[in-house]
Order: sequence, then C-alpha cells, then structure tokens
Amino acid sequence: MTEDVDALMARVRRHDADAFETLYDAYHRIVYGVALRVLGDRAGAEDVTQTVFLKLWNAPNLFRGGNFAAWLARVTRNRALDVVRGRNVRAEAELPEALPENESMEDAAFARIDAERVRSALAALPPEQREPIELGFFGGVTHQEIARRFQTPLGTVKTRIRSGLRRLRTALDEAVTV
Amino acid sequence: MNQRQEPPHAMLDDVAVYALGVLPTADAAKVRDHIASCRRCAREYASLKATAAMVGVSAETARDAENAPSTLLKPRIMARVRASKPAAPVRTPAPASRMPAWPAYLVAAACVVIAIVSSMWNVALVGQLHQSQQEIARMSQRSDSLARALEDQRTTLSDLMGSDAKRYTANDGEVITRGNRAYIAMHDLPQPPRGKVYQAWTLPKGATKMVPSLTFVPDAHGVAIVSLPPDAHALAAVAVSVEPDGGSKQPTSKPVLLVTLT
Repeated sequence: MTEDVDALMARVRRHDADAFETLYDAYHRIVYGVALRVLGDRAGAEDVTQTVFLKLWNAPNLFRGGNFAAWLARVTRNRALDVVRGRNVRAEAELPEALPENESMEDAAFARIDAERVRSALAALPPEQREPIELGFFGGVTHQEIARRFQTPLGTVKTRIRSGLRRLRTALDEAVTV
Repeated sequence: MNQRQEPPHAMLDDVAVYALGVLPTADAAKVRDHIASCRRCAREYASLKATAAMVGVSAETARDAENAPSTLLKPRIMARVRASKPAAPVRTPAPASRMPAWPAYLVAAACVVIAIVSSMWNVALVGQLHQSQQEIARMSQRSDSLARALEDQRTTLSDLMGSDAKRYTANDGEVITRGNRAYIAMHDLPQPPRGKVYQAWTLPKGATKMVPSLTFVPDAHGVAIVSLPPDAHALAAVAVSVEPDGGSKQPTSKPVLLVTLT
C-alpha cells in the first residue's frame, strides 16, 4: 500500500469511499481470517467481515491510532464471538476497541509486522503455551474451559498463557528491530 | 525490554489471562480494578494486550481463491458504503452491527432489479434516437411491462429484506413469509438433471396432500427465488422436489427442501 493507514483513515473520516476500498483490499484477509477461525464457517465469516467494515465506515473514529491490523483483529474477534455467544458460555473480557492513547502507542510498535512473521513467532512457542493462547483468542472460552480441555490445573494454564505471551512479545520485539 | 529483575507478583498471571480476553466476568472486574491501581500490572497489561491482538493478525488468509471470501463480498460492502455516503460528516452514524448482511440470493435479486432499471434506460434512449411514433408506442408498452416487473421485484426485495419477515431455514434454502406473501429462496442449488425441473409444493392448513405449485430452475450461481401464490397464512408447509419438466401432480422424488410453517 503506497498510502499509510493514518492518511487513508483520515480520508475515510471525510467519507472517501475510494480510501475505504483501499483499506478493504489491504486488510480484508485479516478480518475474514479471524472471523473464519472463530466461527469455522465461510458464510458467517463473510457476514462478520461485512459488519466490521461497515462499522469502520460508519464509525471511523473508533480507531484512534496504533496498530490498525491488530485493532481490526480485535474488533473482528469481538464481533465474531458475539455471533457464537448464543451457543457457548464465553469469557466476558472483550478486547477493548477504542484504546487509550498510551495503549495505542504500545500497539503501534507491532504495526509493521506481517502475518507471516506472527505465525512464525507463534509456531516457535512450545505447544503447551501456543495452544491455550490460540484457543483463548479464537475460541472465546474462559481460562477454566481451557484448563478443562487440556486437563491441566487452572494455575498452570494461567502461567503458560503468560509465559507464552511474554515469549511472543519478545519474538515480535525482535521482529520489529530486524 | 526491561531487564531489571522484578519481584514475583501474584496478579501477573491473571493480568495475562485478562489481556488475552479469556477471564470470566467476575474475575475480569477484579483484575481491571487492580490494574487501575498497580503500575507494574498496568504496564504488563498494555504490553501483553498488544501482543495478544497480534495473535489475530496471524489468522490472515492467503491470497489464493480457495481461502478468499466470496467475490460477491466486496461489491456487497462497497455498494452499501457508496449508497450510504453522506453529504456531510455524520457525528452519530447508525451502528453497522445491526445491519444484516445480504445473503447471496438477495444480491442476485438486487442484480435483477439493477438489470431491469438498466434495460429501461437503454430502451428509453433508443426511443429518443428514432423518434418514431410506432417505436415510442412499442417502447411505451415495453416500459409498462418493465415497470410492472420492476415493481414486482421491488416488492420481492422489500419482502425478503423486511425486518418483520418470518424466515424458516432448512438445508440450502429458506422460506420467507411476509403478510400473505411467501417465497422460497434457495442457494447452492445444482442444476436439475436433463429433462427435470424443480417444483414447489404447498400444504394448505388442514390438508394431508401436497398441492403442486410453480416449477423453476436455479440461475448460473445456483440461486433461485420463487414467489409462491398467496395466501401464505393458509400454508402449513412448503416443499421443493425434482420433477419431470412440466411438473407433476404429486411429488415423485424425495424433497430437497421441506419446511413447516408456524
């Protein structure tokens, strides 16, 4: 993309449909991918993708800077979990969509990391750390449910999630500085 | 990265779980309160939440067609965007999450309407060019016919998208009723074998035998929208089966769609 996200979002706030289309082209595979992982069906994933992008069009000020891809992933995860909410008991803690400024700055550090690098970093985690993290993010289940599914004590699951996220953080930090 | 060794903190595991978004409601409230008063946990939370969100980025699908969403998705979204483009910035736009997505058959129906409008426009241009009284009369007749078709399509679209419409889903289709009108909307419907068509059947309330209704075939995309003769209120069930071309007086094959209306 020749134009950066902040410039495109500024145009979207002025209701520039061409800028919106550019953002769609660049980011729809993340939105669709997250929705597909959460829902497991293509039609539902497309519905969520449409909802997320129309939300972006109608309320562009929800994005207040930082890592646009991660923000979209967060928003999509929340919307997709709304869809499955009727089927499963899920965790309450939605990832916030409008971030305070300091958190946006924290987020922004990873903005230049592409999906392939993230997948590599995730793949490098030990399975006992990676699997609870992925199940938590895409499955929308509570940590108790994760513990039950892996037949692991709750305290151990919590520690593995934290250890995994910290290792992932370190790997992503290194990817930023490369 | 902070290399300084910090003392263990009992809440840090909970903060990580909260950052991932998997903490139940009651526990989440406690952690939120704690983060508000503990700088170390607030720092950890900001760091790990940014990391957790990147897990989502990993789900980006490949560029190949197999993993891509339907090619109809982008036009569907852009049509909504361009149609809703306001003249001036709007401070409180309607929430997008309440807007239902268009199923494929609605897109198909919309395309039909657009095609009809387009035809009318072309037809009108031709009439102006020739300036022929006879042509105008013929076009007028054609225009009336198209206008009636357009009106029917508008009614169909309005019914299919109406928030007060009742929807009964089964297999690859659904029956939609609104007022006294009923529709069968099917998608992913294969073309019937040579010499065969799909036939709709209705079961009037209190009856024990299906009544033959319209025959139809899906379009090239496997979409079929059938407007059933009124009255929807009097129907107990709707079915679709594969029948010989021209239709049957009673079903001769297992139904591909069978919906009981309540």
